[in-house]
Amino acid sequence: MKTYKVRKVVRGNCHAPVLLFPASFSFLGDVDLETAEILVDTGNCKGENLAGKIFVFMETKGSSGGALVLQTLKNIGKAPAALVSVHAPDFNLVEGAILNEIPYASGIDAGFFNDVSNGKMAVLNLDEEKLTIQ
Amino acid sequence: MKLTKEEEDILSGKQGKAKAQALDFIIQLGEAFGAERLVDIVYCHYPAEMAIYRGNVEDAVEYAETGAKVSVPTTSSTLCCDLEKPEITGCPAQLVDLQSQIEPAHRKMGILETFTCTPQHLGFIPPFGSYTALVESSAIIYYNSVLGVRTNRGGLLTRHSAVCGKYPLMGYLLDENRKGTHWFKVEISRERLISEDAWSALGFYIGKIAGSGVPVIEGVNTHQQEFLLVLGATLATAGSVTLFHIPGVTPEARTVEEAFQGQLPEHKYIIKDEDLDSVYETLTNISAGDPIDFVTLGCPHYTLPLLQKAAALLDGKKTAPGVRFWICTNRMTRKQAEYSGIVEVIEKSGAKVVCDTCPVESHMRQSTCREFGMKVPNVAAMVCNSGKMLRYVGDLIGCKTALTNMENCIRSAVEGKFVTK
Repeated sequence: MKTYKVRKVVRGNCHAPVLLFPASFSFLGDVDLETAEILVDTGNCKGENLAGKIFVFMETKGSSGGALVLQTLKNIGKAPAALVSVHAPDFNLVEGAILNEIPYASGIDAGFFNDVSNGKMAVLNLDEEKLTIQ
Repeated sequence: MKLTKEEEDILSGKQGKAKAQALDFIIQLGEAFGAERLVDIVYCHYPAEMAIYRGNVEDAVEYAETGAKVSVPTTSSTLCCDLEKPEITGCPAQLVDLQSQIEPAHRKMGILETFTCTPQHLGFIPPFGSYTALVESSAIIYYNSVLGVRTNRGGLLTRHSAVCGKYPLMGYLLDENRKGTHWFKVEISRERLISEDAWSALGFYIGKIAGSGVPVIEGVNTHQQEFLLVLGATLATAGSVTLFHIPGVTPEARTVEEAFQGQLPEHKYIIKDEDLDSVYETLTNISAGDPIDFVTLGCPHYTLPLLQKAAALLDGKKTAPGVRFWICTNRMTRKQAEYSGIVEVIEKSGAKVVCDTCPVESHMRQSTCREFGMKVPNVAAMVCNSGKMLRYVGDLIGCKTALTNMENCIRSAVEGKFVTK
C-alpha cells in the first residue's frame, strides 16, 4: 500500500481502479462521447475506458468544451469516478467537475506513472488530500 | 473560505434551495483556486443555451423549473436563430421550435432576453472597478479592458453566479493579475488603422503572441468603441486574452508604467505593416474576382452607427443573385434601426439585418446539420470584415474566406465576387 499526497480541487471521495494517461489530455477529442473510450494512442491508453475510473493525467489541453464532455459522460452514466492531475487544475474542467459532482485532485507526483499500473484499486480521500493504492 | 453571515444564511437554505446550491457551487469554484472570499457581482451575462448543442435548451428549461431566479441584472448571450424573424436566416423549424423554449425559461428566471454578444451596447455598463460574471469572450475582454469592469472568462457556473449574486475573488478580479505581461509597439502606418478589419487583424496578430497573457499595446490611439471591440474580439480569438491595455486609452493604463504596474518586461514586440499583411493572408484563401456567396458584417454584433454606415453604402444597390448577406446586431439596435429607416434601406438591397445570432452560432454549421439530420447549406466562400468570424467559419461552415473592409464587403455582395479596391 502506498499513499500519495494530492491537493483537493473539487470535493469527494471514491474507491475505484486507476487509469493512467501520462500526457496532456483533451477532454474534447481524446475520448469517445458514447463509449468513454480513449481515442488517442498515448501511453498505450487507446481503447481504455474512463467510466468509473480514477483518471490520472498530466494536465488538460485543448478546447473549453471539456466541461461539456464531462457532463455528457455523466448523463450517459460513463463519467470517470474521479480526476487527478499532476499540474494545476483547468478552470473549465473544474466547473464541469463541480456541476457533475466528480472529485478532482491536483498536484500528484509525476512518479506515480512509473510506480502504478492501470487497473490497480485506489482510494481517493480528499478530506485528507491523499490517494492510496491498495 | 471565509463566508459572511449573509452567505452562511444563503448556504443554509434561508433564501431557497436553488440559491443555496448555486452558492455551494461558487464556493467550491473559489476553493479550487484558493480564493479567500466571495464578492458581490452587480451584473451577469448569461450563457447562450443554444439549440445547436444537444441537451442545452432542455437543461436550461429544467433548471428554470427548479424555481431558480437571478439575483442581479442578467442579460443573455446569442442563440442559433433570429427568434423574432426566424425565416430570414432560413433556420429549420425543428431548431427554431427548440430554441424558442428558451424565452419562457429565461423570463421565469428573470433573465432579460437580449440574445447578444455585445450587451454593453444595450447600456449594461456597471461602474469602473465593479465585479461581474460574464460569458462571451469578446464581451469579457471589452468589459475588462475598455470599461475597467472586472470579470473572468465565465463558463458553466456563470448561471450559478447569476442566481446567488456572488463570485470568488480571484483571477482578473484581483489587481495583481491585471498587470501587463507582453509589450507591443505598433508601428503601422496611421492611415491603415481606420477600419474594423484592420483593428481586427491587429488583434489577431497580437493575440497569437500574447496567448493567455495581458498585452500592453503602445503606439495606437483610438477612442472609437467599434475599433476597441473588434481588437478585443480577435485578441480573444487568436489567443485567450481576457484583458488588454492601451496606454492613454484604456482606464487602467494612463501610462506604459501603470499598465505594467511598474514592472516593464525586457522585450518589446514591434508590429509593422507586413505583420498586419500576414493576418490578411492567413484569413484569406480566395483571390480577387473569385465568386463568393456569403457576406457578413456584425461580428461582434453591430452598433447603430455601423448599421447606418452599411445602409448608406447599400442605398440604391442590389446584392447579386445567390449571395447571402447578413448584417448581425441585437434586437434593440434593430428596433432603433427600423425606427430610423435604416433597416428598410438595407433590406431593399437584398441584405438582411439579423438579430440574436450570427453565422457561426447558427444552423449553418456543418456539424449541426449532420447531428440534426438537416441539409448542409453549401457555402463556397464568405467575405467579412471580422477576423473572429473568419477564424471560425472555415472549420465550422466549411467555406473559403476573405478578410476585407466594409466597403469591399458590400461591393463583393453586389458583384457576387470578391472585390478589393
